[in-house]
Amino acid sequence: MAISAATKAATDALAVNRAPVSVGAQEVHRWMQSFTWDFEKNRTKYSTKYKMANDTKEQFKLIAKEYARMESVKDERQFGSLQDVLTRVDAANRVHPKWNESMKVISNFLEVGEYNAIAATGMLWDSATAPEQKNGYLGQVLDEIRHTNQCGYINYYFAKQGQDAAGHNDARRTRAIGPLWKGMKRVFSDGFISGDAVECSINLQLVGEACFTNPLIVAVTEWASANGDEMTPTVFLSIETDELRHMANGYQTVVSIANDAAASKYLNTDLNNAFWTQQKYFTPVLGMMFEYGSHFKVEPWVKTWNRWVYEDWGGIWIGRLGKYGVQSPASLRDAKKDAYWAHHDLFMLAYALWPTGFFRLTLPTAEEAEWYEANYPGWYDMYGKVYEEWKARGCEDPNSGFLPLQWFIENNHPIYIDRVSQVPFCPSYCKGASTLRVLEFNGKKHSFSDQWGERMWLSEPERYECQNIFEQYEGRELSEVIAEGHGLRSDGKTLISQPHTNKDGKLWTLDDIKKINCVFSDPLKAL
Amino acid sequence: MSTSSNAYGAGIMAKTGKAFADEYFSEENQTVHESNEVVLVLKKSDEINSVVHEILLGDRKADNPTLIVEDRAGYWWLKATGKIEVDCTEVSELLGKHFSVYDLLVDVSSTIGRAYTLGETFTITSELMGLDVKLQDLQTA
Repeated sequence: MAISAATKAATDALAVNRAPVSVGAQEVHRWMQSFTWDFEKNRTKYSTKYKMANDTKEQFKLIAKEYARMESVKDERQFGSLQDVLTRVDAANRVHPKWNESMKVISNFLEVGEYNAIAATGMLWDSATAPEQKNGYLGQVLDEIRHTNQCGYINYYFAKQGQDAAGHNDARRTRAIGPLWKGMKRVFSDGFISGDAVECSINLQLVGEACFTNPLIVAVTEWASANGDEMTPTVFLSIETDELRHMANGYQTVVSIANDAAASKYLNTDLNNAFWTQQKYFTPVLGMMFEYGSHFKVEPWVKTWNRWVYEDWGGIWIGRLGKYGVQSPASLRDAKKDAYWAHHDLFMLAYALWPTGFFRLTLPTAEEAEWYEANYPGWYDMYGKVYEEWKARGCEDPNSGFLPLQWFIENNHPIYIDRVSQVPFCPSYCKGASTLRVLEFNGKKHSFSDQWGERMWLSEPERYECQNIFEQYEGRELSEVIAEGHGLRSDGKTLISQPHTNKDGKLWTLDDIKKINCVFSDPLKAL
Repeated sequence: MSTSSNAYGAGIMAKTGKAFADEYFSEENQTVHESNEVVLVLKKSDEINSVVHEILLGDRKADNPTLIVEDRAGYWWLKATGKIEVDCTEVSELLGKHFSVYDLLVDVSSTIGRAYTLGETFTITSELMGLDVKLQDLQTA
């Protein structure tokens, strides 16, 4: 009986390329990659304008067996620590209450990023043609599934074992009203999975992972340890043990397109857009979580950013690629300004909008105010004075009838949402790189905080149509919106979010908010 | 405290307040500068602590005088000029048990530079692997 063409091809290949007798992982890896399958008819959800070379390598030479063995050891160590010694010493209750709140945001948001990265790397698997490159992307798909579970587990552990579970459990139900959610979806979702496949890789792997996972997943563990949290280092440093392969995947994506003419035409624009997209959210949010969400400070956020983002990612990744035409991101100057000031601006707005969140915030103490002024000269005159006024007006006390949002209205400082990043900003009261720009399209006004987002919007305005909370809830009273948006604890009346972390402090209820009669309005309508 | 330019708190990081801001916002620091350094983050564990103390800062210290190792709570932060290499056959001898390059990767948390494995050796280098230098396959007899 005649054999099929496929069987003949496999038989011929085996004849010249004999299976290894040993079980050495790298020998097996080399043998497997020599089967150069034909991927010419690949199809993917979003194609790419770049041509990816089909001889691209995978730097770690992994096969499934070694991968599974490695990851099972990681999980054994991680869950062993969490369920044995850390539970026995009641570690979750030793975490400083301020940091407990930060982890509600960090782990819940990272979970979303990991989940979307599954789809992103699946799309890259579809796009690549080199067997080794595909192998690297496939390993990453599996990693991202593991990380999604790990992030979910951190919040589950804190909720089950620790203090103030509200917000650790089911934070996602507040996603319609929380002003930080939509920006997070822009970087962690849209940026990773929508558009040109290589552009998504630049967002996810070359910028998101090679640059921002170092502060987000590595440096964060120092802040966690300093604030009594031993769970986060146990899990996050284990997550990061996979990220180095993802960084290598991102680098090999660039290697695979280095000789394509499209690279010289598009790569620097795509890199700058990705850098700005990622930094616009991560820079202020991480800075806010580290500095304002901790009691014990490790170092000023701007130094963490300068080390991991500017010196190391900028110099060692981007700087070294200079001879291949990769340029310093054009938006770096504004990003550096943001790294110094934008987290202070964002905290002020986050505190003003606290009832819409799913975590508790605390104003800086006098001791912390001194630390801020010493590390960010000019901080007190801009922010410290205002916080003193808010405290004097009783912003933490439900009987005060004062929400800090009123201060912005009384002083004519309107708060806008940047259409592209979905990050809130107050152009008349900020020190970061934000300035107001307003454009009209299809009879609708759009606000922008910077030229970089504005440029991205101008090239594809239909991509950025997400409604912000001011548009969505215009004319609605705040307590009504909080109830509708699931911002309440299990008693059905106390807010999840609170403007303090004092365990003896009184908690705000829906009635306290209702009596203030705060009504949403869209600032763009007033222009 | 280390005086090496590779130290965690070296250069601008040693400055505070206005002095830091002046250098941070200076015109020359508004674009990236090419760096020949590499950074490695190792999650602390029984095996990794031995690799750090007995090999990188022990037997192999003279091989790489630019290497700096700093304790950052849950992890070791390493920075060196050019490259950092760990031969896992040496680790096996040290630990008295088989320890493959994949056992090492269980606790390698982050890399800034081009990291790769070849046989039982883990390398992180400032070289542009795949562009300037070809990534090698395992050679077998």
